Amino acid sequence: MPVDLPRAEARTRTRTDVAPEERTTLETEGPWCTVVWNDPVNLMSYVVFVFRRYFGYSRVVAEQLMMQVHEDGRAIVSRGSREKAETDVQAMHSFGLQSTIEKAGES
Amino acid sequence: MAHAFRRRPDGSLACRLDGEEKAIIAQVAQETADLIRADLGIDAGGDALRRAAESEDPLRRLEAEFAGREARTPSDSAVRRLFPAASEDPALAEEYRRLGQRDLADGKIADLRRVMSILDAAGGGHGEVVLDEDEALSVLRALNDVRIVLADRLGLQRDGDFDTVRMLQQIGEQVEGAESSGDDEHVGSDIVIAVYELLSWLQESLLRALD
Repeated sequence: MPVDLPRAEARTRTRTDVAPEERTTLETEGPWCTVVWNDPVNLMSYVVFVFRRYFGYSRVVAEQLMMQVHEDGRAIVSRGSREKAETDVQAMHSFGLQSTIEKAGES
Repeated sequence: MAHAFRRRPDGSLACRLDGEEKAIIAQVAQETADLIRADLGIDAGGDALRRAAESEDPLRRLEAEFAGREARTPSDSAVRRLFPAASEDPALAEEYRRLGQRDLADGKIADLRRVMSILDAAGGGHGEVVLDEDEALSVLRALNDVRIVLADRLGLQRDGDFDTVRMLQQIGEQVEGAESSGDDEHVGSDIVIAVYELLSWLQESLLRALD
C-alpha cells in the first residue's frame, strides 16, 4: 500500500488499545484461511473500507488487519470452510486486492 | 478543476469534474475494459456462446460449456494483477481460474461500463457527478482497477515507488527546463502519472465522503 495521505492521528492510539477479545472475532474456527497480500497500489483507506464493508469488521479490527498487511506483507482476514474461503478470495479479487486461499497452519 | 466528493443532505455523493477530466476517466475506464477483454479472450463472441449454451442441440451446448470453461491465465502483467492466482498451489490456482475468472471479469467490466455511463450522463462540460451508494461502490472498484493498470505501466512494484516516480519526474522537469528538450516518451509517462494522481485523489475523496 502506498504510504498514506494524512488522516486520523487517533488511529495509532485506537490500534494499540484493541481489546484481546476484538482480535478473536476473526479467528473463528475453520481449516481454510483467506490471505490478503500487500501491494503498492491499494490505498490504506480503501483496504479498511473493503474489510469493513465486505466482512463487516469494526473499524478497529479492519484498521488492525490493514496495518498487518502493510507491515508484515500479508494478513489472514477470514477463516472457515473451504467454500467460505473461496468466496472471500473471489470477493477480495473483485475489489482489486491481492488474495489467496490457504489451509490453516500452512505458513 | 475537480472538487472533492461530499455527502449531500439527501445521502447521495457528489463531486465536480471538468469536461476534460470526465473524458480522461471515461477513456481510461474504456481502455481497461478493452484490455481485460482482449487479454482474457472475452469478445463479442460471448453472446454467441451464451446463445449456444441455451441451444436445443446438446452438442452445441456441450461445446459452449467447454468454451466457457476455458480460463486463460492473463498474459498482460496488468491483467495478471487484476486476476491474481487465488492459490500458491498452481493446480488449485488453475481450478479457481476455471471456476471464477469469467464472473470476476464480467463484474469488473460491468463496473467500468457503469463509470462510463455515469460520466456520459453527467454531460461534457464542467459539472456535478452524483452517485448513490451502490454506484459509489462500482466507482470505487473501477477506479481501483484502472489505478492497478496504470501502476503496472508505471512499473510500481513496492510501497513508495510512486513517490520515486514522482520525484524523478520533477527532476526531469528541471533538467528539461534547462535544456528545453521535449521527448515524446517523457510526455507519455507524465500523462500516466497525472491520471494516476487524479484517480487516487478522487478515490480517496469518495472514501472520505462515504466514511
